[in-house]
Amino acid sequence: MSVAAGASAVGLLPIQSVGITPVEASLFVFVLTTAVLTALFRDVLASIVIFAAYSLGLAVIYTFYRAPDVGLTEAAIGAGVTTVFLLLTIAKTTRPASDARFEAINWPAVGICGLFVVVVAVTLPAFPAVGDPASPILTTADVSGYYIANAYDETGAENAVTAVLAAYRGFDTFGEAIVVFAAGVASLLVFGREVFTA
Amino acid sequence: MSSDPADNDTGGTITRQRPVYTESQVIMTTVKAVIPFVLTYGLFITFHGTGSPGGGFQGGALIASVVLMMAFAFGIESTREWLSNRLVVGLATLGVAIFAGIALVPMALGANFLEYTAYYPVLGDILGLKEYEFVKYGMEAVEIGGIAFIVAGVLMGLFFALAAGVTPSDDTESAADTDAASNTDTMTGDTAAEEVNT
Repeated sequence: MSVAAGASAVGLLPIQSVGITPVEASLFVFVLTTAVLTALFRDVLASIVIFAAYSLGLAVIYTFYRAPDVGLTEAAIGAGVTTVFLLLTIAKTTRPASDARFEAINWPAVGICGLFVVVVAVTLPAFPAVGDPASPILTTADVSGYYIANAYDETGAENAVTAVLAAYRGFDTFGEAIVVFAAGVASLLVFGREVFTA
Repeated sequence: MSSDPADNDTGGTITRQRPVYTESQVIMTTVKAVIPFVLTYGLFITFHGTGSPGGGFQGGALIASVVLMMAFAFGIESTREWLSNRLVVGLATLGVAIFAGIALVPMALGANFLEYTAYYPVLGDILGLKEYEFVKYGMEAVEIGGIAFIVAGVLMGLFFALAAGVTPSDDTESAADTDAASNTDTMTGDTAAEEVNT
């Protein structure tokens, strides 16, 4: 009830200006509902399962907006691996004995979150519509325009995203890979020392 | 996970007695049927990162998720023994080494860090490739040998480290005991306390 009201209040202007389709609208409602339910469910297992559904909905939204690389990552990491990790974590914990299905709502926290949503929503009309040819990212596209125009000729990669990641911004990607490796090794050292002696 | 509430009421200390891994014919059959396709998809995404959506990160996550599914279906400890911790950590380390090697060799040849075209004067005639094709195959090498290895290795390592202790085996317990006996660090206090509890 509150979810639907919030969605329509937040999205009234942008939805009209963007010309949002019913499919997109239902995806947004699905993601918002699963997000709220993740916070509300008292049973952690139920929360994790709904959180996986939330990630899957996000992945579909990314794919819908022509960002399949991000969608793939969200589906594999968000919906898949993170769910498994969270399940493993709660397998080591105990369930609190309670019959309540939903968490007690913390109204001050809801107020703060609502305030934050209002602040973000105020900035929404300043955004250009999705795919608007007059948006600044396309009219004054010094960097991204260069990638789109030259990525194939200079790198031979049909996927410009990969060309940016591995060639134009290869140094950043190298740093990211090192961060992933260092974080993984640090985690293994911290909580796996007696069983994970490599 | 869905233990009836009667379990929680009995006994003062709430400990999960149900084994997390139970051999399920349904899960094993499903995983057996799904694994070849997921692995193929993961390899496809990894190898076609320059030509289609995806890349080393997404593909590596999918390849790691194959191991996660196998562990869920056939037991975490047996999967860990099959893969060996050394291999998992070695995979991530090898990824960093390959990425750094590909990035540093151009510097030795007098070019910049990660400048793939520096390979052209050396290998161009041998491999019969044009200059821009070295960028493409350099990116492929970084995606496959670098990022995919790192991501797959780190995700598998995190999974095994998180899963450690979920399914206790005699093997790991005896290892922990010998550790506690030989080492005189703070860990001995913890294991002693655990033994008192049990």
